[in-house]
Parts: sequence; structure tokens; C-alpha cells
Amino acid sequence: MSPEQEAFLAKKKEKAAARRAKPEEKGTLGITSLMDIVSILVVYLLKSYASDPIVINPTAGQKIPMSSADAPIQDGIPIFVTTRGITFDSKKIVTMTPDGDIDPSQVQNHLIGPLYDQLAEEVDKAKQLAERQGKGWNGRVILVGDELLKFSVLVDVMYTTGRAEFSEYSFCVIRKS
Amino acid sequence: MPRKKFEEEEIEANMLPVMNVMFLLIPALLMAMEFASMASINVSPPKFAAAAPAKDEEKKDEKPLNLKVFVMEDGFRVSADAQQEGAEAGKAQDSKQPTIGLAKAGAPLTDFDRYDYKALEDKAKKYKEAYPTEVTVTVSAEANIPMAAIIMTMDALAGRTCKISKALKGEKVPDDCYFWQPIVEGGAS
Repeated sequence: MSPEQEAFLAKKKEKAAARRAKPEEKGTLGITSLMDIVSILVVYLLKSYASDPIVINPTAGQKIPMSSADAPIQDGIPIFVTTRGITFDSKKIVTMTPDGDIDPSQVQNHLIGPLYDQLAEEVDKAKQLAERQGKGWNGRVILVGDELLKFSVLVDVMYTTGRAEFSEYSFCVIRKS
Repeated sequence: MPRKKFEEEEIEANMLPVMNVMFLLIPALLMAMEFASMASINVSPPKFAAAAPAKDEEKKDEKPLNLKVFVMEDGFRVSADAQQEGAEAGKAQDSKQPTIGLAKAGAPLTDFDRYDYKALEDKAKKYKEAYPTEVTVTVSAEANIPMAAIIMTMDALAGRTCKISKALKGEKVPDDCYFWQPIVEGGAS
């Protein structure tokens, strides 16, 4: 070992000894900023939830029409209707033809069979729940349609929901700023 | 040439300012994001004859307007009191021609601005002045008309500056709100 290397090791040992001799310092974590961010997030999220009690998450590729309407969305059961299919309760239950019409095998005299079955089941559940809670059942359906959705499809969906005892309808739109 | 003396130093990066900035950036970015603000248009299904039994008791001077707007591929057909706008007296409609033509003739159906919403809004305003208590309008369309065009038609009939949310909570309906309760009726296919 060369004298230089020896000197270097000696110095290293000295340093290590000095470090060991040093009293242990307690590390402190600055949580002020963390508190700031958490407070801001909480206020922001609270504000969002207070203003929009109903959360509508459009299906992939769906373009909700724009409107100057400003009425808030009231509590109801959402049905997502696009040019590719009808989604209810996160399940795609009806498929469309490439032209954007309902598959003819799934609709008869404006009644969309698979949608009606699902809605009837949902209505039974909702009615039972409302009865247990001693509340009246409001049959409101929120139609979340695509901007290219054909009027004929819209009418069929409204007719089917009407047959399933829904009496109030809301069209979900994006508010123009 | 003498070698440079190398002194080993332990450098500890002070991450605290970086962390502070990062944590403050998160809400800043979240706030900068544009979230779509949702609203709704409350529509009613068509009323049937059984729902109006008290017709005989109504005074003759309180005749309902029965405003109907039919969205066609070539424009709007407007009718009131069971007569098409501009048709010969006593005739429900005198032709299949639209009352209000297209603003952009020849534009595809996917161009939602092809209709003359301004003219429709002006007509709604005119009817509202004549029937100030009326708020309902029946909207129907041809089978291929896209939903966005129906929504924009409803907006024009309600008044595009109409803000109805406060009125729904019990306040007075603003003067610039015309026919804000649409009834959707199945159209011809």
C-alpha cells in the first residue's frame, strides 16, 4: 500500500470516528406544505361534491351535446345511449347497427327488450327500497345521449323507459361556458 | 504535475423546497384542469287526452297555444293552435315545406349549426309576447335528426340566454325565458 493510500484510509477512519462521536440528530419533516395541499384538496373536493351530487361518467368515445341550459341534474337513474350501444348499470345491454340504429332483433314496436328487462328489475328494487324507507319513488331517468344519436333511437329509449314506469326524463348536457 | 487532492464530501440534496413546490403544483394543476359542467333539460312525455278532462270548464279566451316545432332535414316546421305558421286559415298545414329554412343549406346533418336557431328564437319570442303564461312546447323530429340539433332547438325555444335554475328553486322566471318546458313527441320516420 502506498503512503498516499495509507493517509487516505487514515483520514477516512478519522472521519468515520468523528461521525460516530457526533450526537445523533433527529430528522424533522416539514409537513406544513403537506398540510396546505391536503387542506386545499379537501376544500376543492367538498366544493365539487356539493355542487354536483350526481356524477355522470360518459362512456368511452361518447360526446355529450352542449347546451345553454343551466338546470342542475336531479337524482335519477342514468342510461347511456351512444351510436354504438346502450349502457345501463355499467353493462352494455343493447348494440347498434353501423348506421346508429338499434339492432332490429332487440327492438319490437319501439320497445327495446333487453333495456326494458333491466329497467323493470331496477324499478322493482328501487320501489322496494323506497317503501322500506317510507319514501315515494320518483321515476326519473337521466338520458345521457351522444350528440349524433338519432331522434328515432331517442324516442325508442323514452318509450321503453315509459313502459318501465319512469315518468320523468332529463337530458344530460354539457353546460356552455 | 501534482495530482489534485480529492476530498470526499457527502452532499445531501435538500429536497424540501422541491417537495414544497411539487405539492403545491398538484392543486394548481387540478384547478387548471377543465371539468365539464353538467346540466339537464327536463323533458316530458306527450300528454294524452285522458289527462285533460276539465276542458269544458276552461274559459274560451284562455285558449292554449299548443306550440309545436318539428325538426326536419330542411328546417323547422312551426305550428301553433293546430295550424302551421303561414298556412291557409283552417288548414293544419298546407305543405311539407319548412316554416324556417336552413341557415346553411346543403350542410350535412352532422353540422349542428345548419339550422336557423336565431329565427326560431325570434319566433318563440313573438309567441311568448302573445301568450306570456305559456311555457310548454312540443318538439318532434324526423328519425335521422341528431340529438345535438334537438338540444339546440330546445335551447332556442327556451331562449339562449335563459337561466332557469333559480326559477326552479321558486324565484321568478326571467323575462328572457320563453318555452322552457319541452315535451318530446315521436316524429315521422
